[in-house]
Amino acid sequence: MTEPVLEVEHLSVDYVVGAGRFQALRDVSVRVERGHVVGIVGETGCGKSTLARAIPRLLPRPPAEVKSGRIRFNGVDLLEVPAWKLPTVRGTGIGMIFQEPLNSLNPAFRVSVQIAEAIHIRKLREAGAATRTSSGGEPFDYSRGPEVSRSEALGHPFAVGGTAAETVVEKQANRRATREEVLEFLRLVRINDPETIVNLYPHELSGGMRQRVMIAMALSARPSLLIADEPTSALDVTIQAQVLTLMKELIDEVHASILFITHDLGVVAEMADEIGVMYAGHLVEYGPVQEIFEHPRHPYTAALLQANPTRYKADGPLSSISGSVPNLSRLPPGCPFHPRCPIARPSCGADPGPSLELVPGATEGPSSHRVACPYSSEVVSPV
Amino acid sequence: MGRSLFDLAIFIGKRLLYLIPVLFGVVVITFFFTHLAVSDPCSIWFPRSKPATLAACRITFGLNQPLWVQFWDYLSNLLSGNWGTSPQGVPVYSTIATALPATVELVLASLVLMIFIGIPLGVVAASAAGRWGDHLVRIFYLSGWATPTYLGAIIAAILVAPALGLPTSGEYNSFTPPFRQITHMSVVDALLAGNLPWASDAMLHLIMPATVLAFINMGIATRMTRSSMLEVLPLDYINSARMKGLSEFVVLYKHALRNSLISTTTVLGVTAGGLLSGTIVVEEVFAWPGIGSYAFNAITGYNFAGVIAIVIVFAIGVVVGNLIADILYGILDPRVEWR
Repeated sequence: MTEPVLEVEHLSVDYVVGAGRFQALRDVSVRVERGHVVGIVGETGCGKSTLARAIPRLLPRPPAEVKSGRIRFNGVDLLEVPAWKLPTVRGTGIGMIFQEPLNSLNPAFRVSVQIAEAIHIRKLREAGAATRTSSGGEPFDYSRGPEVSRSEALGHPFAVGGTAAETVVEKQANRRATREEVLEFLRLVRINDPETIVNLYPHELSGGMRQRVMIAMALSARPSLLIADEPTSALDVTIQAQVLTLMKELIDEVHASILFITHDLGVVAEMADEIGVMYAGHLVEYGPVQEIFEHPRHPYTAALLQANPTRYKADGPLSSISGSVPNLSRLPPGCPFHPRCPIARPSCGADPGPSLELVPGATEGPSSHRVACPYSSEVVSPV
Repeated sequence: MGRSLFDLAIFIGKRLLYLIPVLFGVVVITFFFTHLAVSDPCSIWFPRSKPATLAACRITFGLNQPLWVQFWDYLSNLLSGNWGTSPQGVPVYSTIATALPATVELVLASLVLMIFIGIPLGVVAASAAGRWGDHLVRIFYLSGWATPTYLGAIIAAILVAPALGLPTSGEYNSFTPPFRQITHMSVVDALLAGNLPWASDAMLHLIMPATVLAFINMGIATRMTRSSMLEVLPLDYINSARMKGLSEFVVLYKHALRNSLISTTTVLGVTAGGLLSGTIVVEEVFAWPGIGSYAFNAITGYNFAGVIAIVIVFAIGVVVGNLIADILYGILDPRVEWR
């Protein structure tokens, strides 16, 4: 069995704001196999985005504080990588697509410059890898490349043109090759007129276009793991469908390993191999997508599926979950969902809360169906 | 309206047209203030003179005419290029033509220091916000801000400069350099003459006054950079730059600073325009033959023509400083259209 690209184990993250402490993530474990798409679903504020940003260590500290856990990426615990080495993890290692295409492209630079940067970094890494592989396998394979020296990790400020040793002719050839590659990636994300688009600034593009550029930028580094943090939520519905179709096609084309964060169950159903359901910072259910959709074992998952508007029938009322999401600074004791749970009993409100266990009858495996509810057999699958 | 060079030319033309009413207002105000405040300047210029001499003086300077006629004469002279003379008969224009470049040189030198020290300090402060690096930077720029110019200049001249072995007086070691002064900017003239020893001498003379000016005015650049960096840093495009694998240095100084510079530039343009008139004390202390020294002498010597001309130059400085800031603003931010 091959090693998973990403293995998040028992990750807990707090936000400390003033005297308040918000439990954004509690004991979350997620695993992304090579070439798999893992969907993380949950309501707003359940910690999905915190998880997405915690993995490449993007959370600002303060206020975020990683309490415990491990984030193993290609065998390296990212929480132990020193801050100055983080750039070597990102880019060719982990790429990311953000929610707001309006804010995720730099307004001051043309599209070409922004994508070329990512390509340039990948080329530097590839060049570094070629000279180093002779020294044998190293345990620091952060981004499929070997450990890089400090100067490499920090260096090349402003230089998007190569090293000083290059001749002018080589530089020009390099620049032309990079530009050609930029156009190629724009074509990959189905942009019709890449020669025009590369020379534009982000504010001259529509929201859907910007998100395509963002996807092209993330892919152009050829990351071994792509994290998509609600890539379609900020777009119009028609554009959403286009971008989703594009992403689905790209998943087949580039065989990427993807962690897909969304609040849209329909999206994960179409894209993901495995899904994880989050509630109030806890992962409450995890398993193969089809099993979870057909036989949800956690009462929250079942309620979520029931509340999906696509199930809405003209004759019945729209189903909703009673109560509201708990305040993350005052989580209820025991199972975080028990105050809203239809099958809760008094013991559900006692600490410690349930942890993720194999669903009765499922076979043991890294991505087999798990649920954090001792009464999972009572959960009725929605019709 | 757009971003072509043509749009820029129209933009600059319009702004220069606005300069006309501004300058007219400046001339009116300073002319009447100076002439109304002192009823008989001849008796101050030439004290203990015979009444006949004073009467001759009044006729020479047209002071026996009604104020409106005096103003009209002054204005028509000004428009024909005659800026008037000092009471001693020295033409104002030629004095300004040598003094202004010296001040511009001083202001530009301190501006360079403010840009290359003040702005990076702002970046450091923002990236270390709330930690000791931030506090150190704040102590540094606040102490500059809080220093009265005369005190800072005098401390620099009598304590700092001797310790560093730097000259504290004038533009060169000798009053008359062995080459023609073309631009009247000391370093530029020496370089134009190809005289490197004199150029380095001029640069050494420039260090102390420029540093004092920069130290006192740097806070605004640092503070502005820090606060706009703090606005930019939480935005997602900073994270997406990080996610490309760029080093934190490139993320800060290329992606974040580029977007933060917009407000810093605006402030620096205004500051630079204002600095022209802010050099008076520094020039007096360091015997810098600039327009600040000239302003000081003109005011204390009741040199009305000189005072008005200096105020005109200061007004032009402020307007041009703002104009340059606006042009840079458009260059830095691709979303801005020149209109």
